[in-house]
Amino acid sequence: MSRTETPSIDLTACDREPIHIVGSVQPHGFLLTLDAASLVIAQASENAPVPAPPGTPLDDVLPELVAVVRRYLDDPPNEAGAHYLRTVALAGTGRRYEVAAHRVDGLVVLELEEIADAGVEDGLDALTPRLRAFVQRLRLARSTEELCAIVAEDIRHITEFDRALVYRFDRDWHGTVLAESGNGVLPSYLDLRFPASDIPVQARELYRRNRLRIIPDASYRAVPIRPVLTPTGQPLDLSQSVLRSVSPVHVEYMRNMGTMASMSVSILVDDKLWGLISCHNRDPRRVSLQARNACDFLTQIFALQLSARERGAQAEQRLALGAVQARLLGFMAEEDSFVDGLIKHPDDVMALVNAPGAAIVTGDRCRLIGDTPAEADVRALYDWLSNQTDEAEVFVTESMSERLPAARSFADRASGLLAISVSKKYASYILWFRPEVVRTVKWGGNPVKPATVDPAGGPDRLHPRKSFEIWKETVQGRSLPWSVPEVEAAKDLRTSVLGIVLRRAEELASLSEELQRSNKELEAFSYSVSHDLRAPFRHIVGYSNLLKNREAANLSEKGRHYVETIIEAAFSAGTLVDNLLSFSQMGRNALNRVPGDMNALIEEVRRKVMRDVPPERVVRWEIGSLGRAYADPFMLRLVVENLLSNALKYTRGRPEAVIEIGRLPPKDGEAVFFVRDNGVGFDMAYVDKLFGVFQRLHRVEEFEGTGIGLANVRRIVERHGGRTWAEGELGAGATFHFTLPLRGEAH
Amino acid sequence: MAGLKPILLVEDNPNDIELTLAALEAGQLANEIVICRDGAEALDFVYRRGPYEGRTVQDPAVILLDLKLPKVDGLEVLAKVKGDPQTRTIPVVMLTSSREETDVVRSYDLGVNAFVVKPVGFNEFFKAIQELGVFWAVLNEPPPHRGGWPSNA
Repeated sequence: MSRTETPSIDLTACDREPIHIVGSVQPHGFLLTLDAASLVIAQASENAPVPAPPGTPLDDVLPELVAVVRRYLDDPPNEAGAHYLRTVALAGTGRRYEVAAHRVDGLVVLELEEIADAGVEDGLDALTPRLRAFVQRLRLARSTEELCAIVAEDIRHITEFDRALVYRFDRDWHGTVLAESGNGVLPSYLDLRFPASDIPVQARELYRRNRLRIIPDASYRAVPIRPVLTPTGQPLDLSQSVLRSVSPVHVEYMRNMGTMASMSVSILVDDKLWGLISCHNRDPRRVSLQARNACDFLTQIFALQLSARERGAQAEQRLALGAVQARLLGFMAEEDSFVDGLIKHPDDVMALVNAPGAAIVTGDRCRLIGDTPAEADVRALYDWLSNQTDEAEVFVTESMSERLPAARSFADRASGLLAISVSKKYASYILWFRPEVVRTVKWGGNPVKPATVDPAGGPDRLHPRKSFEIWKETVQGRSLPWSVPEVEAAKDLRTSVLGIVLRRAEELASLSEELQRSNKELEAFSYSVSHDLRAPFRHIVGYSNLLKNREAANLSEKGRHYVETIIEAAFSAGTLVDNLLSFSQMGRNALNRVPGDMNALIEEVRRKVMRDVPPERVVRWEIGSLGRAYADPFMLRLVVENLLSNALKYTRGRPEAVIEIGRLPPKDGEAVFFVRDNGVGFDMAYVDKLFGVFQRLHRVEEFEGTGIGLANVRRIVERHGGRTWAEGELGAGATFHFTLPLRGEAH
Repeated sequence: MAGLKPILLVEDNPNDIELTLAALEAGQLANEIVICRDGAEALDFVYRRGPYEGRTVQDPAVILLDLKLPKVDGLEVLAKVKGDPQTRTIPVVMLTSSREETDVVRSYDLGVNAFVVKPVGFNEFFKAIQELGVFWAVLNEPPPHRGGWPSNA
């Protein structure tokens, strides 16, 4: 890697280094590429023990290998990656080599590692008892950490490295050392964290594809492969190679750590890179292919065990959360509103995702459960959530203040937020909170420290941290993470709530259909009453009058009295029907609100009601300035007519009737009007009955009427959003108030 | 005067007929009062069909029309009369028990000349009917006759 001056080198520069096509191998073995069909040599590393020029058949150079390669090609293993074929003694060299092969782009890549000491034979047979014991111990391990300790110990035993670490990646690819086995030669790294930039992204991908890497001697000189390009004109892809030369950055990193040999084995859980087993030796050290295979095998067993354990733990949690969820579902189904089902069972709401606090927020209400931020802060979170454009069903964070800086102020209660939207239309959310967990993290170097310039003044190069003193960081504003089953439980709750809301909506729709139908029936009924019931009363009145007028001579005094009574009774029944109909019409007719002049309306009604007043009565009107009102004029006219005719009716006995109409200063956004008279008044004990349908406070002989007028007044005023009330004293007059909302009045 | 135009009363209820006639009599109108008991009969009269085939070519001074009628109801009669250029100048007054808003609105939409809800009180009823009769049969000036040969000539 030769970089020219780039002033903005940062640690992610490693992310761009193409390390899988590095074009060279480590010197502890040599590499050949062959055309898979003809077994003609295409490329060779410069350290091949015999001359192997491109274009030469393999048979001419290393005839011992031909049968081995043919067997490999005829019966390819179904596992990807370099495959150990066998140990071969090469006649031309007098040395023994372990041969591994893999396929790339129509080529066979052969890698031959010289066996250092021909006397040592670490065959799989020798490892079998060790592997058996290993599996036994894994089964007994109680925790992930214990599992990791066992695998670290066994790997170190097989490889005889000075130190073996088990290193786990977190979500952000920072690594933590979970377990360590060592002989004391190298320092302990247990519990240390290493920033994500230590293992760049393409290295992680390589680790996923090629599970085991080894560097026997960090001071090696890389051996180039010749020619550089394959017959198809590509650089050779070495991602599956076991001899692949590593990045100079990595070698420098190793030297910094004081380690000259290293080996790492990938831990893949569900095909994802879970972590690494990382082995180091202070001095250079070779590990036989056999031993490496054993380590790979061991690690795979370990990974399976790990995966089973994590699945088990998740399944257990899912089961527990599922029970909570089933209970909540039952509670919600029992209530008219799902919110009540949740509010009444706060413990289950919190247990669903193991949160100490929750909130249910709708457009108009905010209900808090357990330990939560203040209502205003929850509202702020809600507003922020509602403004998120992505339509995610669930929002999860362990560090709310990273997303919303204002959340810093309530980090002690809500660093973690899990939220589900249960109605987009009405912007309803259920939120769960987790408090901040202040942790101290020990880093193997400062993770936020940028790359340093080579103090020797050489070309700008990345220098992995020279010093590995522990750098401590206090992590703030973060909560414990939300687990997958917890997030899923929240999602499931969302689905249930949506289902319930939908069902309720359907029920409401059918109810409203039902109501509309019964309303229609009622209308038909009142129509028929209006036509059919009115007519007989009219006829009774009409015929009785004819009887009285035309046949009076044939009637006795008593008979005439009877007829008179029939007329009165039938007339009041007919009037009653009329009033009832108009009352029902008031409820059914649409409001048609327009602004208008109140004084003009009062004057018009006053003239109308005065027509029925005998001319000898003395009535003094005191009408104030009434301004404008915003109402349905037809209906408001009825209100005023009822009030004025009542005032006239109940002042009938007064030598001078005084009727005052006025407007009070507006209050609570309402215009307040009143009609006051000096009539007979009423006993305040009965004030509640005044506005009821058919409620009368006077005997019919005293004051005629059906008892529906004030009921109509109240109904109309309430339909306008106003209020009515009355004050009175027996014998000392009455005052009737009504209000109308001010909105729109000025138009 | 080429003969007073008749008043057409369309009403199915015999009580109402009797009371209305009593009121009109009390008003001392000279006009003939023709009574039809349902909407179909009323249309026969207007168009001189069936039992009225031979009657004099003369539109009524006013049709006093009830809403609820057997066979063809009041609104249908109104729609027919007001929808036909030949008859739409005949004044039609709905005379009914119904104060249902939809009926009132519908009647005006169809071109009714007046809508009267029969009052329950006797004096009010008598007065209303007499005034109606006087107004439409005497005071109201119908549009000029545009001529043409009598169709039954």
